Amino acid sequence: MSVELAIMVGSLFFLAGIGVPIAYAIIVASMAYMVAAGSSIGLVGKTLVDGIYQSFLLLAVPLFIVAANIMNAGSISDRLLTFCVATVGRFKGGLGHVNVMASLIFSGMSGSAVADAAGIGKIIIDMMRKDGRFPAGYAAAITAASATIGPIIPPSIPMVLYALISNASIGALFLGGILPGLLMGGVLMAMNWWISHRRGFATEEPVALRDLPRVTGRAFPALLMPAILLYGIYGGVTTPTEAAAVAAAYALLLSVFFYRSLKLRTLYDILVESARSSAAVGIVIGGALILNYIVASENIPSALAAYLVDVNVSPIVFLLAVNVLILALGCLLDATTIILVIVPLFIPTCNLLGIDLVHFGVVIVVNCMIGLITPPYGILLFVINAVTGISLREIISEILPFLLVLVGALLAMIFFPSIVLFLPRLLGYEG
Amino acid sequence: MTGPVKAFRILTEGIAAAMMAAIFCTFILQIVVRYAVGSEWFVATFGNTIDASYFGWTVEFILVLWLWTIFWGNAFVVQDRDHVTFDILYNGASRQVRTVFAILGAVIIVVALWSSIGPTYDRMKLLRIKSSATLPIKMLPIYSIYFVFLGAVGLRYLWRAVETVRHGADRELHVLPVEEAVHQEDKA
Repeated sequence: MSVELAIMVGSLFFLAGIGVPIAYAIIVASMAYMVAAGSSIGLVGKTLVDGIYQSFLLLAVPLFIVAANIMNAGSISDRLLTFCVATVGRFKGGLGHVNVMASLIFSGMSGSAVADAAGIGKIIIDMMRKDGRFPAGYAAAITAASATIGPIIPPSIPMVLYALISNASIGALFLGGILPGLLMGGVLMAMNWWISHRRGFATEEPVALRDLPRVTGRAFPALLMPAILLYGIYGGVTTPTEAAAVAAAYALLLSVFFYRSLKLRTLYDILVESARSSAAVGIVIGGALILNYIVASENIPSALAAYLVDVNVSPIVFLLAVNVLILALGCLLDATTIILVIVPLFIPTCNLLGIDLVHFGVVIVVNCMIGLITPPYGILLFVINAVTGISLREIISEILPFLLVLVGALLAMIFFPSIVLFLPRLLGYEG
Repeated sequence: MTGPVKAFRILTEGIAAAMMAAIFCTFILQIVVRYAVGSEWFVATFGNTIDASYFGWTVEFILVLWLWTIFWGNAFVVQDRDHVTFDILYNGASRQVRTVFAILGAVIIVVALWSSIGPTYDRMKLLRIKSSATLPIKMLPIYSIYFVFLGAVGLRYLWRAVETVRHGADRELHVLPVEEAVHQEDKA
């Protein structure tokens, strides 16, 4: 490691440690690097603006944010919940299953775990706590755990970010997320069923079968979103970025014409809110672009790759080691930072070891999402704590079983790549 | 909140919202043009008055808006609590330590961003003569938003440093809603 790089990493840790926003910490640390390396600090701004101006793929991010915010604002979540209660509420641990299923469906629209937990998650926690059906901590824990599915099933903002740094096909990544997302939903439901039996949790009154078509019909248009998205990308109708625009347009049309639940004033607030979160994410992405430029010019990723190949690391050992590292980092860092800053270090090694980049990407994104609920720094735990007032200690004491089954699902994905790659290959991905 | 501050906030937020809406609409236009213009139905209805090649600018226009949304947004619309922040140490520290952290962080940001204005201009001034690929404009005006960003974010952190010196760091935005309520009760 060169002295300049050590200075950069040191100042980055120092600044982030004293609470400077990550994006500004990266920008300032990169300036420190330039000074130490004898270059102009103006290079930082130039690299930052050039980087953003050249990455067209990133435009999917603000558009998915708009789509998610529109979906959250309308009455769409209520209809989806009615649908879920009607279908899975009748089984042991009823509302727990409803919770997981709502996440599965909702994730097909939002692409953001935090939006999922703060929007539909809050409604469902209130339902679960009513009349003491479930302990507050349990309701919060299963909501947090199921919200991690959001960015696994397409659309997915973390996968767009991964596609940016790895050049993997965004369409294949989206397809590759579907089965892992269903697997995560399956293991969470199984765990909920088992716990509910042991602790005697409530079951919902079964909804009459003749009501099912009506309930389904009211939710159906919202259920179509992932299909439209994948058809757009795979049918060659739109580019992946345009597909995000179509998703937002579809959400808007549904809210305005079909569900009639969106006011002009709300739409304006959605746009401001979307601009706010897009800008906050965008500046972190820009910072990561500078960082990757510096790290690449120091030749670190290829040196690491050469070293690992030299010492004869097998692909599976490498995958496990990277996953352990990222799970550990996930306890401290947020997912965007990990994907944009840490993951690029390993891409050349994947190429040399013959690890499929789509497989790697989906596994990494699942891993980062599990990081969202690992104490002490699990952003989803904080969000739920903030919107419901359920104490962190209560949530954390109930989250362990769900954490375990999710890690189990992650291991299955690492050892059996076909869980990820089956669908992309079925549709012509050559990897 | 005082009148001018509020008006300024409404204005900056309005511009950000308008840019988001424009990104969205341009995308839709781009897709519609690709499939509609030139189709038999379109030629039969409107004749050959509109050519799809008139719309080559959409991609770059969207990129300009995206660039501006990011830097405009961070200059005026994004608040401290919206930023991705590693706040374990910060929130765990005592009030005095937090105050020191906040002032130190803010001062470093101000110095770094403002001192980079000149060198950044040196790097970018060549763009005065470079034309955009598809838009009728030079590149420097497009990139100029970065200087607005450097100036405004510097000002914001300067103001924040001054506020923290005067009041300490107990009114930080990192405080959770529940704690905030407790603080207000204390005052009442």
